[in-house]
Amino acid sequence: MSVLMNLFHVLVFPGLLFCVVMGVLLSGLDRIWVARMQRRVGPPLLQPLYDFLKCCGKETIIPRHARKAAFLAAPVVGFVALVSISLFLPVAGQEAVFSGSSDLVVILYLLTLVSVCMIVGAACSGAPFAGVGLSREMVAMISYELPFVLVILAVSSVTFTVTGNVPQSFSLQAIVDFQAANGALITRLSMIPAAIAMLLVIPCEVGNHPFDVAEAETEICEGTLSEYSGAPLAIFRLTHMVKMYIMAALFCVMFLGGITTGIVLLDIAIFVLFCIVLTFITSSLPHAVCARFKVEQVFKFYWTVVAGLAVISLILVWLGL
Amino acid sequence: MFEKMIDDSMSKSPWIFHINAGSCNGCDIELVSVLTPRYDAERLGFRLTGTPRQADIVVVSGPITVQTRDRLVRTLAQVPDPKCVVSLGSCPCSGNVFKGSYAIDGPLEKWTHVDVSVGGCTPKPEAIIAALAKATEILKEKRKEMRK
Amino acid sequence: MNILNHFPIMSVMVLFIGAFVNALVGRKSSAARNGVTFVAITAALVMMLALIKPIMLDGEVITYWMGNWAPVEGWAFGISLEVDALSLFFALIVTVAVFASGIYSFTYMSHDDSQVNYYTLFLMLSGSVLGLVLSGDLFNIFVMVEIMTFTAVALTAFRTNYEGALEGAFKYLVVGSLGSTSLLVGIAMVYSQLHTLNLAQLSALIPQNASNPVLLAAFAFLFMGFATKAFLFPFQPLAADAHAVAPASISLMISGVLTKCGVYGIVRLVYCLYQNWDLPFVQYLVTGFGAVSMFICVTMAFNQHNFKRLLAFHSISQVGYVITVVGLGSILGISSGLYHAMNHTIFKGLLFLTAGAVQHQTGSLDLDRLGGLSKRMPRTTILFLIGAASISGLPPFNGFASKWMIYQATFQQGMSTGNPFFILVCVVALITSVLTLASFIKVSQSVFFGQLPEEYKDVKEVPVAMRVPMWILAALCVVTGVFPNLVEKFLLLPATNAVYSASAYIDHAMGADYAAAHGVFSNGILGIPASNCWQPATWLMLLFCVTCAVAIVALLGSPNDSKKLAISACDEDAEALDAKYESFFSGEEAVYSQVGGSDLFWGFKHNWRKYFSFMHDWHSGIVNDYTLYGAVAIAFVLLACVILL
Repeated sequence: MSVLMNLFHVLVFPGLLFCVVMGVLLSGLDRIWVARMQRRVGPPLLQPLYDFLKCCGKETIIPRHARKAAFLAAPVVGFVALVSISLFLPVAGQEAVFSGSSDLVVILYLLTLVSVCMIVGAACSGAPFAGVGLSREMVAMISYELPFVLVILAVSSVTFTVTGNVPQSFSLQAIVDFQAANGALITRLSMIPAAIAMLLVIPCEVGNHPFDVAEAETEICEGTLSEYSGAPLAIFRLTHMVKMYIMAALFCVMFLGGITTGIVLLDIAIFVLFCIVLTFITSSLPHAVCARFKVEQVFKFYWTVVAGLAVISLILVWLGL
Repeated sequence: MFEKMIDDSMSKSPWIFHINAGSCNGCDIELVSVLTPRYDAERLGFRLTGTPRQADIVVVSGPITVQTRDRLVRTLAQVPDPKCVVSLGSCPCSGNVFKGSYAIDGPLEKWTHVDVSVGGCTPKPEAIIAALAKATEILKEKRKEMRK
Repeated sequence: MNILNHFPIMSVMVLFIGAFVNALVGRKSSAARNGVTFVAITAALVMMLALIKPIMLDGEVITYWMGNWAPVEGWAFGISLEVDALSLFFALIVTVAVFASGIYSFTYMSHDDSQVNYYTLFLMLSGSVLGLVLSGDLFNIFVMVEIMTFTAVALTAFRTNYEGALEGAFKYLVVGSLGSTSLLVGIAMVYSQLHTLNLAQLSALIPQNASNPVLLAAFAFLFMGFATKAFLFPFQPLAADAHAVAPASISLMISGVLTKCGVYGIVRLVYCLYQNWDLPFVQYLVTGFGAVSMFICVTMAFNQHNFKRLLAFHSISQVGYVITVVGLGSILGISSGLYHAMNHTIFKGLLFLTAGAVQHQTGSLDLDRLGGLSKRMPRTTILFLIGAASISGLPPFNGFASKWMIYQATFQQGMSTGNPFFILVCVVALITSVLTLASFIKVSQSVFFGQLPEEYKDVKEVPVAMRVPMWILAALCVVTGVFPNLVEKFLLLPATNAVYSASAYIDHAMGADYAAAHGVFSNGILGIPASNCWQPATWLMLLFCVTCAVAIVALLGSPNDSKKLAISACDEDAEALDAKYESFFSGEEAVYSQVGGSDLFWGFKHNWRKYFSFMHDWHSGIVNDYTLYGAVAIAFVLLACVILL
C-alpha cells in the first residue's frame, strides 16, 4: 500500500502530473495576462499545451556537429531532475514526499542541474548561436545564484533560532513547521527584503522575459535552443513551464508556508491561488513592463541590487528583528 | 494514443519564421503589424521564432534576389517536417516590378513548393491572417498525410 | 608479532626499493621497468587496503619503531612510523592516486625517452609521500617533504620540450625551498625548546607550553611550510606554472597527492601537535587562508586558456575548501574536509587524466584552438563530464556529498557562534561552487563540444590502457557519491575520531597514561552530526521512477504507425553536405565557427575587469615576485601568531 501511495505521490501529486498541469496552467495564464496588459486578446489558456503537443509531432533533426546521444538525453535528464524537485516541496500543507534534512541545498543544486542540462544540450548541438546562448545562460546563472544563496541563508538563519541545528534549519519541512507555529515568514520585517529578492530571482531562474538573455530570439536566434526541433524541443518547453511552477511553489514554501485549513482540497486551492498570484508578479508584470536586459546588465543588477536586498535581510536577522 | 491531439494541435500552434529574400520591407512591416495589439495573431497561437529549426510556417517576402537565393534554399531545407511555405506579397509570386531584372532569380515556385500565396503590394494584414490561417489547415493535412 | 604491524614500513620501502631496482634493471627493457613499477605500486596499495580492517574498523593504532628503539623513560629516541586512522586515510588517498597514475603512465609515457628516470623518480615521489603521511617523527616528515619536492621538481621538468617546463620547475624549486626552509626553521625551534621530534611526544608536550613564544613562532613557520606544500594563497601561481607543464600523470600526483600532504600536515599541526583548534585566532587564520585561496583561485581559473593550467587553479580552489572547513574546528568541519580531500583527489585526478588524454591525442591543451572532440573521443568525453559534474558539485556525484557537508559546517559555525565571518565563508563557498561549474562548462564547450577544427579531423580515442585508470577514478566518483553512508562508516568516522583522539595517539607510542600525565585528555567522537541526511540512493530511485513514467508516456504517445516522423540524423560519412543538417547560420553557408575558449563568459568578466586586470598584474610570472609574496606571507603569519596567540 505504501508503495502505491509513494507511486501516487511521484506520478500524480505533487509529482509529475501535478507539475505538468500547473506548469501549463501558469504559463498559459502568463501569456494571457501579458497580452491583456498590451491590450491584446491573447492566446487560449491551453496554448502552451498545444505548443508542446505540436512540437512532439514534428520531425527531430539532429545537426551534423551534434553528439546524438547527449543531444537527445540532455532535455530528458533536465526535466526529470526538475520534476524530482517537486517531491522535496511540502506544498499545500502536505508532508514532503522525500523529506530529508538540508533539502534547500539539494534543491539549489538540482535547479543548477536543470540549467546545466540545457547548457550541455546547447553545447552538444555544436552551433555558434547555441554557443553564445550557453555562455549567456551561464552568466545569468552566476548572476542569480548569489542572491538566491543569500536568500536561502537568510531563511535558514531564521529557522536556526528555533531548531538550533543546521540540517534541520535547511530543511523545508522544518521551515514550514516553523511558519505554521510562528506565522508566515513574509510577515516578519527581517524577511521582507529577502522575499523581494526572491521575487526578483524567480524570473531569471526561470528564464522569463526581461532576463531571458540566453534565449533571445531576435538577437541570437533562440540561443541555447537554436538547433533543437521536435520532441526534445517540446521537453525543453515543458521544462520551462514546470520551472515556473516549481519556483512559485518554492517561494510559497519558503515565505508563505504553514497556511493550512485542515481540508486538503481547500489547502491545494489556496496553494494554487498563491502560485497564480506569484506568477503574475514575477513573470507577467516584468514581461509586459521591461525590455530585455543585456547580459552584463543582468549580472550587475543581481550582484548589486538583489544581492544587497538579501544581505539587508541577513543583517536584520542577525540583529534579531 | 495522442495522435489525434497532436494532429489538432498542429493547426493551433503554428510558429512562423520569416525570410526576407530582398523585400523592400513593406511586407515585413505588415507581417509585424499582424502580431500587434490591433490584429493580434497570437489569438490563433502564432508566434515568431528566431530559428528555422522551430518553425512550422516559413513566410517569404521579396522577389528572391540572386544574393539571397542560396540562403533561402538552405534555410528552407533546415525546417523540420511538416512545414508550410507562404509567399507574402506580389514579389515572390511574380517578381512584381522587379521582374526581368538581372538581379532577380524568382519566382519562389522555382525553388520550393509554395502552399499559400498572398498577393498585394503590400497585402493587407487581414489578408495575411487569412493566409496564415489557411496555412495552418494545410499543416494539419500534411501531418495527417505524413502519419499514413 | 602481527605481520600487519610491518605493513607501514614495508609499503614505504617497497616503493623506494622499486625505484632503485628500476634504476638498475629498467634501462633496457620496458617490460622490466613497467613490471617493477606495477608490482611496487600494487603492493603498496594492497598493504594499505589490508590495514583498513584493524585501523579503520577496530580502531587500532600501529606504531613501528625502527630498529626496535622503543622510548626509554618517556623519551622517544628512535625513529617511528605511527599509523592511526587519519594517517591511513591519507595513505589510502595516496596509494589509490599513485596506482591510477602509474597505470596511466605505462601508455601515456610510452613515447618519451629516458623513461627509466621517469619511473625511478615517480616511485621515489610516491614513496616519499606515503612515508610523509605514515611518519611518526617530525624530522622524518621534513626529510620526506624534501624528497617529495625535489622529485616533483625533476618530474615537472621531465618533458623539457614543453614551453615553460624548465621555467615552471625552477619556480617550483625556488618557492618550494622557501616552504621547506620555513618547515625546517619551525622544526629547529621546536627541537630547541622540547628536545624531541617524535610526534606523539610533542603532542603531549606542546600543549603544556602553549604560551612559549618560540613555540608560537614555530607554529607559524610550520603552518606556512605546510601551506606552501598545499599551494595555498599566496603560493598558487606556482602550482599553475608547475601543473601546466608537467606530464598529466605527474599533474595528478602534484594536485591530488602533494597538496594533500599539506592538508595532512596542517591537520596534524592544529589538531594533534598544538591542539589549538578551538582558539578563535587559529580558526580565523586557517579558515581565512582557505577561503581566500578558494575564491581567488576560482576566479583566476576563469582567465586561463590552457586546459591544465585551469585545472591547476581549480585544484588549489578545492584544497581551499578543505582548509576552510579544517579551520572551523568542529567535528562536522573536519569530517567534511577529509571527505572533500578524498573526493578532490579522485575527481581532479580524473580530470587531469582526461586532459592528458586530450594532449596525448591532439598534442594541444589550448582552449582557444580545440573543440568538438566529443565526436572523436566519446569515452573520454563521458569521463570528463563525470569529473566535471563531480567537481562542480552536481548530485549524485561525490563532490556534491562533500560540498553539502561543507556548507553545513560553515553555516553551523556561523550560526552557533553568531559570527558573520563564517556566514561570509559559507556564501563564498557556495559562489565558488557556481564559478567552478562555469569554468568547467567553458572547458567542455571549448574542448569537447562545439565544432571540430579541421586539423583534428583524424584524432582517435585514447587506448584502453589509458582509459582503465580513468574508469577506476570515475567509478570511485560515483560510488563515493552515491553511498556517502558507507564512506562515512568506513573512512570518515574513524579518521575524524582519530583527529579528536590525540591522547590515544600519544599513549600508543609513549606508553599508557603518558598523555594523561601531561594533561592531554581527549575522548574521540561518537558520531558525525548531520550524517545520513543526504541519501542519493533514494533520490536516484525517485529519479528512476520519474524517468520510467516519462518513458512510458512517451512510448504510449509515440506514433507507432509512422516511421517517417522519427528522428532524422545525417549520414556521418556522406561526402556531400546536406544543408538540412548544417548548423543554422542565418542562412549562410556553414563555416567552421567554434564558440569557446578563454572569453566565453565575457558578460561576467566585463563587470569584474578591474579585479581581473589587478590579478593579471599580480600574477607577474616573475619568480622574485612569488618568493617575495611567500616571504611576506610568512612574516605576516609569524607576527600575527606571536602577537595574537
